[in-house]
Amino acid sequence: MNLEQASYFLLEEAKKRNIPQFDIVAGISQSTAVEVFEGRVKNTEISHGTGIGIRLFLDGRPGISYTERFTKDSILQCLEDAISNSKLTDTLEIELPAPVELPNIDLQIFNPELEQTTFEELVNYAVEMEELGLKADPRIENAPYVGTSKSSGEAIFCNSKGVYYYRKSNSLSGWIGLTAKQGEQKKMGYYGNTFKSPGQLNTKYMAQKAAERATELLGAEPIPSGKYPVVFSNRVSGSILGMFLGAYTGEAITKGQSRLVGKLEEKIASDVFTMICDPLVVGMPGSRLLDGEGVPTKRQEFVSKGVLINYLQNLESAKKMKVEPTGNGSRSYGGKAGTTVSNLIVPLGNYSLDELLKMYSRCVLVTKLEGSSGCSTLSGDISIGVQGFYCEKGEKTKPIDKITLNTNYYDLIQNIEAFDNEYLDTYSSIKVPSFLIKEAYIAS
Amino acid sequence: MNEKIASNVIEAGLDAKADFVELFIEETRQSSVSFVDQKVETVNAGTEFGIGIRLIFGTEVLYASTSLEEESHLIELVRQLAKTRLNTPTELKREPVVLRQTTIPSQKIILDPKKISQEKKLPFLKLADEIARRESEKIFQVNARAFDVTSQVQIFNSEGLFVNDYRVLSRFSLSVSARNGNEIYSGSESPGAQMGFEFFENLDIESLALSAARRALLMLDASYIVGKKMPVIMGNGFGGVIFHEACGHPLETEAIRKKSSPFVGKLGEQIANPCLTAIDDGTIPNSWGSINIDDEGNLPEKTILIENGILKNYLSDRIGALEVGVRRTGSARRESYNYPPVARMRNTYIAPGKDKLEDMIASVEEGLYAKKMGGGSVNPATGEFNFSVEEGYVIRNGKIAEPVRGATLIGKGHEVIQKISMVSDDLEISAGMCGASSGTIPVTVGQPSIKVDEILVGGR
Repeated sequence: MNLEQASYFLLEEAKKRNIPQFDIVAGISQSTAVEVFEGRVKNTEISHGTGIGIRLFLDGRPGISYTERFTKDSILQCLEDAISNSKLTDTLEIELPAPVELPNIDLQIFNPELEQTTFEELVNYAVEMEELGLKADPRIENAPYVGTSKSSGEAIFCNSKGVYYYRKSNSLSGWIGLTAKQGEQKKMGYYGNTFKSPGQLNTKYMAQKAAERATELLGAEPIPSGKYPVVFSNRVSGSILGMFLGAYTGEAITKGQSRLVGKLEEKIASDVFTMICDPLVVGMPGSRLLDGEGVPTKRQEFVSKGVLINYLQNLESAKKMKVEPTGNGSRSYGGKAGTTVSNLIVPLGNYSLDELLKMYSRCVLVTKLEGSSGCSTLSGDISIGVQGFYCEKGEKTKPIDKITLNTNYYDLIQNIEAFDNEYLDTYSSIKVPSFLIKEAYIAS
Repeated sequence: MNEKIASNVIEAGLDAKADFVELFIEETRQSSVSFVDQKVETVNAGTEFGIGIRLIFGTEVLYASTSLEEESHLIELVRQLAKTRLNTPTELKREPVVLRQTTIPSQKIILDPKKISQEKKLPFLKLADEIARRESEKIFQVNARAFDVTSQVQIFNSEGLFVNDYRVLSRFSLSVSARNGNEIYSGSESPGAQMGFEFFENLDIESLALSAARRALLMLDASYIVGKKMPVIMGNGFGGVIFHEACGHPLETEAIRKKSSPFVGKLGEQIANPCLTAIDDGTIPNSWGSINIDDEGNLPEKTILIENGILKNYLSDRIGALEVGVRRTGSARRESYNYPPVARMRNTYIAPGKDKLEDMIASVEEGLYAKKMGGGSVNPATGEFNFSVEEGYVIRNGKIAEPVRGATLIGKGHEVIQKISMVSDDLEISAGMCGASSGTIPVTVGQPSIKVDEILVGGR
């Protein structure tokens, strides 16, 4: 069975069993990836994936199941499993959405031109990138992570109310990780990006970026412990803010798993801080007309000038909080519904990065985060290894490492003083410019 | 898959001039029950199915994965793979592939999860919720989950291997959240084993629930540690995650063959303090990280990585062995048919020493006792790691003092192992999940309590 046949078969079988409410998520994906090392292809991977899942409600009780086999037997087993699972769960009185007319927008997430990219072209891009990266600076000693890939996917969402949504997307990606050495010190620089047309993959630019990032931190050393103003470069600003998005979901609020419980319409951050979820931006990877549960999506400013305007809701959390769903439901074929921000946008500020660095006589510019295990969505605690530059009077005085940055997310967003006017150049569903905070504790 | 189809697909690969061809067929059944907010929130079950085809030319790996099992589709995939090398199929004179089925010893599974109703998991989850909530009024949320995975795996290769493997895993995870005013903190426990439903029956739910609840309450009222370099005593069990991340990954031939590890060319050299011996063992009965066979069909072994500070072995798969010039250690692993196998850890631990925890604490004037570690990560190329401390205490004048939160440990793995000066006799291992290039796989990490003379502790 193909994607459409599998979805239709499961839909009809569920209807035959008079299941009052259900929704189906199905997808297929294809990708080709190549990795090179020392001028030769090291790994080639071709993958074909399929999957279909159902969530059904019997007497208000949800049951879910999935299968990766598009055969009648396996899909019927999946349906029986979901029915059987629903007998064990507690009730969840939600109403699945009915069809509505969707805006006529081409989100430009599929480019037929990309499908023409050949395997030889993928290899050539990767080999060229590696060669340019190794030549970019005499201190570059190795290129352990270099590759390219082409992927495409199709997905169908349908439900018992008649909603049917088909989404097709594709992309081309490239990545390069270089290590640079100076004395006994080694640093890694990485640049990866995803492209919507073949002409955008610029091997020279990518190699140079990775080389710059590897070499700029050579000679890094710690700075003394203490409180410093900190600028998070746009290479890391999206990661820092993105880690705590879970705290804004109705799911976390209804379970008490967020410090934002009861804070609606309150000032939670500085005046310059606004966060927007915009799923309707043309050409952004998170763009979609319907969310993962079939609810129409919309642009929403959920934090506006420091005030918490709205929580992000899926069907379940909206029902519990007695509000309308906000189109932030997510669901893959294999799991239960969650909540997501389709595209996160923090508006650009009025300053350049240089101007941010000059706002205090000294500051720390963070360009690299080391893991996220010391960051808790629940408590807001941030304790994280960072690397970057120590700056005086707006000038990068020296690279720094072997330090940790320590604060709390809820203090951090109160302490944001300004954003710069440039997003990172990568194809991402998170757009956050560099930003300056008044202070954080640096330990060394 | 029957042997005829398998040999036809393998022969298509050999006709395309591959030096080695392998088929990995997997059907996995996952079942889980989640109890959240005092309700049965999710009951899920699903089937994952697919085939991985690996062609090796010299040391170049070509890999395809698919959920379709028709012979014609599989042979077409082999041809697509081979085409990427611009080879044309030939009528080489070669012997037909003869597959010989091998029987392997398996872990003892008493109650096959496939034969047990999901309903039977519920009492364990409800009990954990009840015990944790009873501990304090500050406990406001409990998230308990029980799940099991059964996988039927077949591996065929061009050297005639044909092996069937039945894999069973069970895990219980628990997160308990406590609130005091605006402060929220959680404690967690998540044991797992290569066992059937008997795993849940044998669990001490009360002790797990109390441990998670008490940690959440303790840390809720803890103050922040002042960050700086200091001696650190790392507690036994999950403390081994540091060795796993900071030394284990760089000892995998996947890092060595790309010259992306501080341990390249160091076999036989003193790389750690002589008090350190470290092992990766795939054979511990029913342990979460153990395997019946690795994902290339090799039997696992107990591999000594470091003995008295001297580097003895890397962890190696077929490609790693070829490129690095070492023997295979039965360490080839992958999350699923979607990934080609690479050398990965199994049950990795630091061997017990002769020191006592109390002596280690007494030897520290001012430092940190990291009783339970959280997660962390490492950049294998540079050795730079970071880890969070889930339960920590200040050590003052040789005694354990007040609890502290928000501590992070950062450093370089190859430098830290030279600073381990004391190793106690209280070895424990804990279940975890490890993510790397061949996906996320079950492993255990372990160690006795150890003393590191100096490490950077992040705090405020």
